[in-house]
Amino acid sequence: MMTSLARLTRMVESGNCMETADTLRVKTNSMGKMLTGWAAAALLCLPLAGQTAQRPARLPDGKPNLNGIWQALNTANWDLVAHAARPGLVVEMGAIGAEPGGPGVVEGGEIPYLPAAKEQKKQNFEHRLTADPEVKCFLPGVPRATYMPYPFQIFQSEKAIFLAYEFAGAVRNIFLKDPGPAPIDSWMGQSVGHWEGDTLVIDVTGLDERTWLDRAGDFHSDALHVVERYTPLGPDTLSYEATIEDSKVFLRPWKIKMPLYRHVEENARMMEFKCVEFAEDLMYGQYSKKASK
Amino acid sequence: MKIRFVAAAVLAGGVLSVLPAWAHHAFAAEFDAKRPVHLEGVVTKVELINPHSWIHVDVTSPDGKVTSWMVEAGSPNILLRRGFTKTTVAPGTKVIVDGYQSKDGSMRANGRDITLPDGRKLFLGSSGTGAPYDEKK
Amino acid sequence: MTCRTFAVLLLLAVALAPLPSQGQSYTPPRTPDGHPDLQGIWTNATITPLERPAELAGKPTLTDAEAAIFEKRSAQELADVDGKSEHPLLAAAGSNGTGGYNVLFIDRGSELARVDGKKRTSLIVDPPDGKVPPLTPDARNHPPFEGYGKFDSVKDRPLSERCLLGFGSTSGPPMLPVLYNNNYQIVQTPDSVMILVEMVHDARIIRINGKHPGPGVRQWLGDSIGHWEGDTLMVETTNFTDRTRFRGSSMNLKVTERFTRTSEDTILYRATIDDPSTFTRPWTVEYPFVATKGPIYEYACHEGNYSLTDILGGARKKDADGGTK
Repeated sequence: MMTSLARLTRMVESGNCMETADTLRVKTNSMGKMLTGWAAAALLCLPLAGQTAQRPARLPDGKPNLNGIWQALNTANWDLVAHAARPGLVVEMGAIGAEPGGPGVVEGGEIPYLPAAKEQKKQNFEHRLTADPEVKCFLPGVPRATYMPYPFQIFQSEKAIFLAYEFAGAVRNIFLKDPGPAPIDSWMGQSVGHWEGDTLVIDVTGLDERTWLDRAGDFHSDALHVVERYTPLGPDTLSYEATIEDSKVFLRPWKIKMPLYRHVEENARMMEFKCVEFAEDLMYGQYSKKASK
Repeated sequence: MKIRFVAAAVLAGGVLSVLPAWAHHAFAAEFDAKRPVHLEGVVTKVELINPHSWIHVDVTSPDGKVTSWMVEAGSPNILLRRGFTKTTVAPGTKVIVDGYQSKDGSMRANGRDITLPDGRKLFLGSSGTGAPYDEKK
Repeated sequence: MTCRTFAVLLLLAVALAPLPSQGQSYTPPRTPDGHPDLQGIWTNATITPLERPAELAGKPTLTDAEAAIFEKRSAQELADVDGKSEHPLLAAAGSNGTGGYNVLFIDRGSELARVDGKKRTSLIVDPPDGKVPPLTPDARNHPPFEGYGKFDSVKDRPLSERCLLGFGSTSGPPMLPVLYNNNYQIVQTPDSVMILVEMVHDARIIRINGKHPGPGVRQWLGDSIGHWEGDTLMVETTNFTDRTRFRGSSMNLKVTERFTRTSEDTILYRATIDDPSTFTRPWTVEYPFVATKGPIYEYACHEGNYSLTDILGGARKKDADGGTK
């Protein structure tokens, strides 16, 4: 018995849980004992299965552990509503610059614009190459930052929640205690978070009116109010919902919903995307010495 | 080319004496010391943005013509830490601006001195810091 | 549980217990994973200059009484330049007769940095003379700072004017105090320490026990990896671009930072700057990050950069006017 236990301990310590489970299975001669054996192996393995131990499902304070690098996997940034593929705006880019189709992320399918706002959206769409703030590498605002085609990282401790987006290095500190009304508007807004069960609810106000909601010209005013909900669906997936409210632009509040996926590759990390550099020639080329000759 | 740090001024000690020429935004590159301006007008909009805030001021000349100026001030973050908000300076506020005009000839100036008609500084400021960071948590 | 397993666990418990630091009586609060808690909002604002002023040569520290004289003089000087256009100090700071901000917008600090109870006369502690070491012959031939005196295009302007990085190495690393907005927020998890630098909303992500990428990957803020040595967080940053140029430094720059929580409201910061292509020897700065109320406000920069177009536009007008000032 001691020899078997010693051998089992060595197996477990080596992290080889499958082999341990197998050994237990072989040594039993009844279904009941076999199942117990599997269960025991599972329990023994849990603290030593590298990945799970380093990323517990909950923080010590009991809240779901949202730490990690996440990314949306859809075409919401191209267009929030269902759309077919479209030609790109830069001929030289051919298929690379073309817009992919997508089934849309808006609950109910359509964005409920006020009549005048619908006209504005059309204008925005037609002029999107010059009018979309993303082209100039302006901070994307909320909720657009969530579904840009770049990862973002959530830093969550017992004291703080902080979101760092790869695109333009946008950042959001989430206040866990309401600081009162935002003193001024900002591109990434003022975020106040609280938990409802396992859902992180973030209330965003004070958003600068100049951000867009996607590349298709969907927009808002300075009355924008967004409520986000982040809920774990599993160890590597979050459900993301955002309720968008703006009485100057929309008939009523409306919702978008999408999964967010964890980057699970071993070398997953955020890279810099300081795109200001990439927008400079576009924005300031006219002021260069050559151009003024 | 050797960058001359302010050796003489350093002897006097203090904050500005240790600023190398590149240390902050180069006002000299933007504004023209040979084009001083003195504006008396009305605030129409306050852009509390970075890197610098801009106050939009409408100046009406005696013949009734209105010229819209933009006056540059500092980073608003410092103001926010002192309790300033987007409603602190209301449109319609009368201001007096002393500064220098933009080198490119546009209707922009740096707000070397922005005061209210009664002489108080627009941004509730005064000399000395008394800065929020001095207050321990 | 076997005897052996228990023994192993016991040994681990002893080995992982935090070692008491030499001469430190302060016990920092700890995060659940056992490391000192560095979280919060901090400022490195101080009037202590980077290099020791000539008049204070040989005096690395001042008594509180001596420091008070220095601090009072500094406050008075600031008051003197308030609103003025002409002042030798303003001229030195590049205003060239057009004046600077009202003093209200300046927030560099009002006190000298206090470390180990004494007030410091320079941020540089090594070399002992408190001065940046001499540059290498190669470095002396290059203009030390980007964008000095060139206005041909946006690419010629300083990184801070282009809103690519905050001015004066506020993000660094090393994270030096500058004229204003000297505020930082630290959020700490078991595998990362995130330092938000207010200007220009830069999140420095330090990967605990991470590995640097190869030399082909270069970033404006470099690549930062960290590990705990007892109660001190050690951070090593390499992989800078060839344009980041901290005081003229090259791609070979390596910065090693140490963060130690020394009191309820202080983190002692120590950073060693090492670039054999640029500096003839490594040098070290040391000063405290002091707790401050916050919050940190958004510093969007690029989105409101009217100044850049004014500067370039002014240069083009000067060209058009035949180059006369």
